Amino acid sequence: MIRAIWGMARNDLAIWRRSPAALAAALFPALGMGVLVAVLTASVGQQPVALVVQSKGRFAERMARIIRADRDAYLLEDMTAAEAERAIGAQRVAAIIVVPEDFDQALASASAAVDVYLNNVDIDLADDIRRSVTRSVAEFDAPQLGLLGELHGPSTGVLLPNPYRVAVAEHDLRETNVSFLQYQVIPIIVLIIISIGLLGTALLTARDFERGTAKLMVLSPVGRLPLVVGRLLGGTLITFTLVAPLVAFGFLTQYIPYCAEESDGPLWVKLLLSGPCGWMLPVPPWSHGLALIALLAAVTLTTVGMGTLLGVALRDARLVTMSGLNASAYLFFLGGGFTTVAFLPDWIQVVSRFVPTRYAIDGLRQALFYPDLIGFGRDLTVLSGCALSSIVLASFALARAWRRA
Amino acid sequence: MNTLRLFRASAALELAQVNGNRAFVALTALAAVSFLVMVSLFGLTGAYAPVALIDHDGGPYAQRFVEALLGAHHSFALKPMDADQAEAALHSGRLVGSITIPASFSTDIERGVTVPIDLRIDNVNVDLTHDVQRALPAAIVAFGRAHKFPGIRVQMVEHDVMPQDTGYIPYLVVSALALDAMVIAGILGAMATAREWERGTVKLLRLSPASAGVVLAGKLVVAGALAAAALALTLVVIVLVYGVVPIAPWATVFTLAACVAIFTCVGAWLGALLKRTLAAVPLLFGLAMPFYVDSGALEPTRFDGETIWRIAHLSPIYYAVGVLEWAFHGLRVTPEPVYVDLLVLLALAFVAATLTLSRLSKGGTR
Repeated sequence: MIRAIWGMARNDLAIWRRSPAALAAALFPALGMGVLVAVLTASVGQQPVALVVQSKGRFAERMARIIRADRDAYLLEDMTAAEAERAIGAQRVAAIIVVPEDFDQALASASAAVDVYLNNVDIDLADDIRRSVTRSVAEFDAPQLGLLGELHGPSTGVLLPNPYRVAVAEHDLRETNVSFLQYQVIPIIVLIIISIGLLGTALLTARDFERGTAKLMVLSPVGRLPLVVGRLLGGTLITFTLVAPLVAFGFLTQYIPYCAEESDGPLWVKLLLSGPCGWMLPVPPWSHGLALIALLAAVTLTTVGMGTLLGVALRDARLVTMSGLNASAYLFFLGGGFTTVAFLPDWIQVVSRFVPTRYAIDGLRQALFYPDLIGFGRDLTVLSGCALSSIVLASFALARAWRRA
Repeated sequence: MNTLRLFRASAALELAQVNGNRAFVALTALAAVSFLVMVSLFGLTGAYAPVALIDHDGGPYAQRFVEALLGAHHSFALKPMDADQAEAALHSGRLVGSITIPASFSTDIERGVTVPIDLRIDNVNVDLTHDVQRALPAAIVAFGRAHKFPGIRVQMVEHDVMPQDTGYIPYLVVSALALDAMVIAGILGAMATAREWERGTVKLLRLSPASAGVVLAGKLVVAGALAAAALALTLVVIVLVYGVVPIAPWATVFTLAACVAIFTCVGAWLGALLKRTLAAVPLLFGLAMPFYVDSGALEPTRFDGETIWRIAHLSPIYYAVGVLEWAFHGLRVTPEPVYVDLLVLLALAFVAATLTLSRLSKGGTR
């Protein structure tokens, strides 16, 4: 029986090796999403801004220093007024911040202004700049309203009076410093598993019906059970074979010389490596590593079972490809890929509770980025339940479909 | 052989074959609407962070402060609740943070005492944390200025380039139309040509005395018409469901038609090159995402840096987004004038149609 199971699994692996189109079907969309994340990282957070300081006064210089210091918010470039005007017209900057000539004099009468000329093309970009400039301006009269003040001011018992009469005591829930790119790489891993597990197994199953090989299997003397188990094992092995090197590569990326943020390598090298460098995963402690393996196994089995069900239901490779791509996209986004579930409307949050990828993404992030495993047990339990039910359902459906082939 | 009759016969045959693949075409159209849904979900995360508001004071200054929080550049979706509910919601991932207004807030503010507001953030990533960290001072500044507290010496004076802000989702769904055009027209174009190899009918085409170019034109016109119909459906969803109405309808139609022509031809070329629908479809899906983000889909591309902006010029979606954002919202998202974007699209449509037909007809006779 074991020989029959292994034979079936090996056969599926061999079919995959000879099917570059199927491999492409599974990997291209997910890798496309990966590129999307890398470019998104450049788009969010920092905006190109011109700073025009028209005054040589002491306070104007101080205001300029505060703005220049907020490197997390702006990609700042000092310009003359004429240069800045040309730059905003040519869309080289999203805004011009002007510290005017009479800044110091106006400050004496409490009427100093920092002018912001803003390309308010959409509210996401415009609000980012508005918030950042407002904070810089607030920091002038109330230094504790700056980032350092929020983190190390009232929250550590140091409260300085300020004219706005309100200060912020910030408390972060997690001991971590995960970048946007790292945070979004996790859903990409899950998307790759979904794509390969779901599409891969669905295509293998549909192929049997298209080519009529399902009938041959029914006539095989080994019985249906080893073949069904072999198919599911094959799908699982294919997924692991493709995903494991990608995850391992994520752990090794940090050793690429030019991936460090402060790297002074040539621009073209950095650009060339921005893709692989973006695929950077932190090496977790061994206990988290074990949790990670358990979670990846549960996700893989879930998607393999779902893929088998899809293949049995549609029995057509082209339909399977389109449905699989559509299903992967929904599973990805509703599970928290590129989105933060808390931001979504309540009814979508309710829907996402029934999407297994949500638990996979949450669990992977918890295991990789945060020092504890709070909530991980729930994620693993839900995924294990999904894996078990999808495998059982898939086994019955496949056996029944072959019997009737 | 009469060219017109040949063209009509080819189109009729293609229509019959498409009719036999209704489920595939329907799934392609579904993918178009799915993209809209996906970019909308992404757009929802750009603003209104769900934050618990625990107000232990309830006095007049606390109310003014809450108003300032609500007016802080679309930053917060405040959810009033008590501390225990907030704790539970925060730990279950339903909130990104909580703001606590202390009991003596109004009294202390009245007395001129600085009051610390407790902010708890579920700092899942740096970007989200920064957004909240920047938003709270914006609310505090608005609160202080509204009450004209003494000692505030500097203010920000904003001068906007556009008369009004465009919402993030209305901005995103318009650019998603260009993405849809690429995926739908590309897939249907690829299917039209790849099918000839999959079914072995390419041999019949090669042996036929009829012009392969005319036969292919007939097939691609049907694929393009179907893609146009699917895009029209998406456009209707954008207008009726999202309430985003183009201010320049003819430019919208013109641009989408050009996109359909370009991407149907590109898809057909890919289909002929790969000879399998199964290979062409994921390739188009995979290419669509990078093309989409590097096209001004989320913000003007040049804001992402000169290199990314230069690369964007290789993608027809860049020009399409440039025209579509102008046609819908009156926005300029490319440094090039809109008429240049439109002319480039027209030129690309013409070149793509000519090259593809020429290449495919040659390929068919080889």
